[in-house]
Amino acid sequence: MTEGATGEPVEERPEADQMIVAEDVKKWFGKFQALKGITTSIRRGEVVVVIGPSGSGKSTFIRTINRLERHDSGRIVVDGIELTDDIRNIERIRSEIGMVFQSFNLFPHLSVLRNVTLAPRNVRRWPRRQAEEKARQLLERVGIPEQADKYPAQLSGGQQQRVAIARALAMEPRIMLFDEPTSALDPEMIKEVLDVMKQLAGSGMTMVVVTHEIGFAKEVADRILFFDEGLIVEEGTPDRFFTEPEHDRTRLFLSQIL
Amino acid sequence: MRPRVNLQEDVDLVGLPLEDERPVEVAPARVPATPGEWIRDNLFSSVFNGVLTVVTGALALYLGYQVLRWILVTAEWAVVKANLRIYMIGRFPLEEAWRVWASVFLVAVLGGLSFGVSGHRLRWTLRKAALRAALAALVVGALVFFLDGPRIWILTGSVPVLLAASLKAGRAGYERLRVPLWIGWGLAFPVVMVLLRGFGGVPPKLWGGFLLNVVVAVVAIFLSFPAGVLLAVGRRSSLRAVSSFCVGFIELIRGVPLVTLIIAGFNLLPLMLPSGMDLALIVRMMLIFTIFSAAYVAEIVRGGLQGIPFGQYEAARALGLSTTRILALVILPQALRSTIPAMISHFISLFKDTSLLAVLAITELLRAARRASAQLEFLGAKKEAVLAAAVLFWVVAFSMSRWSQRLERRLGVGER
Ligand SMILES: Nc1ncnc2c1ncn2[C@@H]1O[C@H](COP(=O)(O)OP(=O)(O)OP(=O)(O)O)[C@@H](O)[C@H]1O
Ligand SMILES: [Mg+2]
Repeated sequence: MTEGATGEPVEERPEADQMIVAEDVKKWFGKFQALKGITTSIRRGEVVVVIGPSGSGKSTFIRTINRLERHDSGRIVVDGIELTDDIRNIERIRSEIGMVFQSFNLFPHLSVLRNVTLAPRNVRRWPRRQAEEKARQLLERVGIPEQADKYPAQLSGGQQQRVAIARALAMEPRIMLFDEPTSALDPEMIKEVLDVMKQLAGSGMTMVVVTHEIGFAKEVADRILFFDEGLIVEEGTPDRFFTEPEHDRTRLFLSQIL
Repeated sequence: MRPRVNLQEDVDLVGLPLEDERPVEVAPARVPATPGEWIRDNLFSSVFNGVLTVVTGALALYLGYQVLRWILVTAEWAVVKANLRIYMIGRFPLEEAWRVWASVFLVAVLGGLSFGVSGHRLRWTLRKAALRAALAALVVGALVFFLDGPRIWILTGSVPVLLAASLKAGRAGYERLRVPLWIGWGLAFPVVMVLLRGFGGVPPKLWGGFLLNVVVAVVAIFLSFPAGVLLAVGRRSSLRAVSSFCVGFIELIRGVPLVTLIIAGFNLLPLMLPSGMDLALIVRMMLIFTIFSAAYVAEIVRGGLQGIPFGQYEAARALGLSTTRILALVILPQALRSTIPAMISHFISLFKDTSLLAVLAITELLRAARRASAQLEFLGAKKEAVLAAAVLFWVVAFSMSRWSQRLERRLGVGER
């Protein structure tokens, strides 16, 4: 592609098909360095699973992608836009990235439907009818169309997390970030959430998932990133990663969780 | 022992054949106690409780008798009757009183509609109805006693009639009325101000009595609420200048007794205002009460904001909402809801504090009462005069408190 829709020449870049590019990203909390130089890039449609021991910087890394944390040095480029302090850029990038949290973080004062329509109506400026139509489609897709008028407190954990996914998808994001989406759930509800995520991965969404669900990683991930002490120690396809890991630290970690 | 309810037996009694289903045991039903049982269980469950019941009962009866006797026999209510106008509107000229009536009617209609709309699902129980009937009878009795002449009877009587009629209308058209009502309330205040003041109306310095307490309180409440919210939000601003200003303002105002502020508003404020800008005393007092209240509102809101988990900000930010929208759509609705009890309680205090205006020789309700009892012919009736003022305050404060409970219940839906 050498010409854009307007006929203007478009810069040919090697990273044109990269959704997320991180170059030597570092992050300090006071004196403590949580990220010690993360370099990786994630292609359009790729599903990347991030694993690693507690405190290794997994959450910190994916939170720098939508600037919930500000990185101190290095470069992060999301869909061709570099993350800087420019607040307009940040809000724009955030609206392109959906995020799902461990603790759901639904808005308790709003009904499920209003939770899902809030951002489209107020950021995208969609009319109410359009936003609600989209929301109902998404609730259908995550399997809870009948809960639209309930409040978050009236739902089970698994249902709440599916609402949270629908809420993120309502902005029609190009990237979805998941930070341990099933860690706060009772075992019998984990599957219903993972099923939704698998379906999403199948639809071609670019996804970065921090999780301890090895089954999910093996089945869905295109690539595994193994974090330890603020660095990517090892990365590879699930096959390679789980069967013949290269590093001792990876082996030690896998022996503890498998 | 309480009887066990056995479904099998019940069904047998009805005479239905039952297949060999196991009898289902239902939780023991509570048998309604006879009045005798109730008295035994609640008042005489032990010797000590029995003695306590007898003693407090006797005391209550004695006090009740004394109070009633004083109200109905001893007290000289003529002082209130003769000064009713001063009580209600101070020196507001009588020929302009229609302005006040019109305002009262307007508020009655809006209030009735709002109650109808918000309570369209509520059913009247027999007990509630009886209670209200008794209350209405009491009010009518008092009015007939205190008010002279058919004109004022008709005017006063139309208030409850308007209220009831618009309550009914509110119930009937609740969905359609929602938006117009918000607009109506929004316009009500300026309309009332114009009614009182505009078109050759009455200058504020002639406003007095209970009217003045209500107007000052209403102005202060409606202005201090947004001001207080802004202060609380500003306090958390990352701009040092803004947050220091907010903290400084709040702490300064909260550290000073209200009476001091009132006196400062009387003496100092005119000196501080640009020359040529001459604010009426009443307007200055509205300003003082607003400033005072804003500091407290800010502290109440701060408490509410602290209760909001950080995840709420993060989730909203991750969706791409701007800081203003996060506050307006996610944080404040939750924070403010949790502060309703404290907020209304503060507003009730503020309303009662308007009686402090008496220190400036402004004829608000309390001062009106004291002036009335200073008249020669009513010299002995100080108790009656002040008590009447207290009852007026109480009625309004109590209504506010009930309204707060209703609001809490209504907004409690879907809370964590
Ligand atoms: N806001 C913060 N302030 C100070 N230190 C922080 C902050 N957030 C994270 N850290 C520290 O940074 C390190 C990395 O944290 P992070 O949450 O990214 O780990 P993680 O890999 O997600 O771990 P877990 O599996 O427990 O979620 C930890 O040592 C943590 O204590
Ligand atoms: Mg984490």
